[in-house]
Amino acid sequence: MTEAQPPDEARRRLHPLSPILHGAKSIAVVVAALSWQTLNEVGLERFAIVVLVLALGVVIFSLVGWLTTGYHVVGRELRISDGLIWRRNRAIPLERLQAVELRRPLLAQLTGLAELRLEVVGGGKTEAPLAYLTVRDAAALRERLLALAGRTPVAEAQAGAGARAAATSAPTLEHPLLRVQNRDLVISQLLTPQAIFLPLGIAFVIMQFVLEAQWTFIGIASTVTAMAGVLLQPVRRVLQDWDFRLARDPGGRLVVRYGLLETRSQVVPLNRVQSIGATWPLLWRGHKWLHLRLDIAGYAGEPGGDSKRSDRLLPVGEFTTARALVWDVLPGVDLATLATSPPPARARWLHPFALRYLGAGLTPEVFVSRWGLLTRELSLVPYARLQSVRVVQGPLQRRLGLATVYADTAGGRAGQARDRDLAEAWALAEQLAVRARLARA
Amino acid sequence: MVTEPLAPDALTPWPDTVQWRPVSPKLITVELIARAIWVAVLLTGLGVGWFFAPHWAWGAGMAAVVVYAIWRSIITVRAVRAWGYAERDQDLLVRHGLLIRRLSIVPYARMQFVDVTAGPLERAFGLATVQLHTASAASDARVPGLPPAEASRLRDRLTALGEDRAEGL
Repeated sequence: MTEAQPPDEARRRLHPLSPILHGAKSIAVVVAALSWQTLNEVGLERFAIVVLVLALGVVIFSLVGWLTTGYHVVGRELRISDGLIWRRNRAIPLERLQAVELRRPLLAQLTGLAELRLEVVGGGKTEAPLAYLTVRDAAALRERLLALAGRTPVAEAQAGAGARAAATSAPTLEHPLLRVQNRDLVISQLLTPQAIFLPLGIAFVIMQFVLEAQWTFIGIASTVTAMAGVLLQPVRRVLQDWDFRLARDPGGRLVVRYGLLETRSQVVPLNRVQSIGATWPLLWRGHKWLHLRLDIAGYAGEPGGDSKRSDRLLPVGEFTTARALVWDVLPGVDLATLATSPPPARARWLHPFALRYLGAGLTPEVFVSRWGLLTRELSLVPYARLQSVRVVQGPLQRRLGLATVYADTAGGRAGQARDRDLAEAWALAEQLAVRARLARA
Repeated sequence: MVTEPLAPDALTPWPDTVQWRPVSPKLITVELIARAIWVAVLLTGLGVGWFFAPHWAWGAGMAAVVVYAIWRSIITVRAVRAWGYAERDQDLLVRHGLLIRRLSIVPYARMQFVDVTAGPLERAFGLATVQLHTASAASDARVPGLPPAEASRLRDRLTALGEDRAEGL
């Protein structure tokens, strides 16, 4: 950097092993793309040469990328520059930081490295994954970024240099909140429709084979592929949420750790929680289990949608656990005493079966709404996090004098009071607007 | 269906406290011309098809397009009159829609940025669209059909109020 700026610190590079790690990923893709067929056609020797040349190219490419990538903290910004031909300098204002995640894919775990991902609002994807740093560097940088992010400019002036020393002495005491038993996690994922219907599917396929006596390779391969596709989600959930732990760090932030093949550890400041969702799936009712979801603004645009995301607050747990957790994250909100009122009886024309389970309510802290006949869901939106309020009335609702009120959050999932009486909907919208204003002040 | 003017209506809540402002009636013309262009393009396409492969279905398609266009045009007149916005102390209210009626309440404090856009047709009639964006993708605060002076006034007011109450998230 040539500009005149406080000599804050030098630009730093990522870990020297990162080009090789990046390269390894690409090589695996290349080999998969070349496939066995090519191997059979060109012979082992040539295949090896092709792979070697490609590997070399990829490593050189990654090396150039590594040489040109640098990051440093300037004031209250993290600056990242990368690119050889298209130079890019990004400045990430830390007060906009929503959450920081430390990700360690399998290869990174073997080499003791980690990837640091910052979630900021606006970017469609995760901004600035710093891949890779040593675990200690990454943790220290995370502490530092969060310390900078959490401070107001006024407080910063007071805190001065002392804060940095405090921030760099990273691993401080955490207060553990919860640990999900892996046994529960596996059972919970076996109790999903996919896993339940798998034996039926297998039985069906075997029946067909026995009756038609045709064991073609294509048939078996496609069946296996279909099965794998169906099972992918529960298996991925198990791998992702393995060894799920939740803790509070001394700054009151939420620390979430999970993952088997790729471990993730995520720090979420509590004031960045946009909404909480609770779900009681039908098949879990025997165990009286539920899962809790935490919505953060930065993740709304993450591609892959729901399936790739984890249930960040509680993958599976009993009601008492969930109740304690919600109390921790949204102080003053008791999951057991959330009063909701149902829509008027004439809404049964729109919901012949599920009317009993619809409801909405205003507690002093959050907007509560619940719905769902088989899979019961509950959403909690703190007033302070409300973005906008909408009242929508469809043609059928107009005939019945009903309207739906939406409470939009930055997390993408809106709390919704469905099919309320029109006058009540207005009052609700007005109340939401007023309470949101008071909560912001 | 709403018959009497004072009947409850999701579009006009709090009639005593909120001053609704309409959008410019010129928006009707703009929307009609935009629709006419589309209809012309469609009809040309169908006509060419009819010319090269004579079949009564082409004619039926054209008739359907015309009927749909006329029906939509009648709706447009009422739909534009249904658009409205109101500036309150703390938030912007926008209402629109006939079949599905929508009312949005967007606090100024939640504003991320304001867009002022004007397409070629809108410009020809001296209109612009102001859209207020929040961090939530679901927020729906778009006001079309504003005269440029009013559009820039609204934009400046929104940004000024947004800065005053800046918080964003």
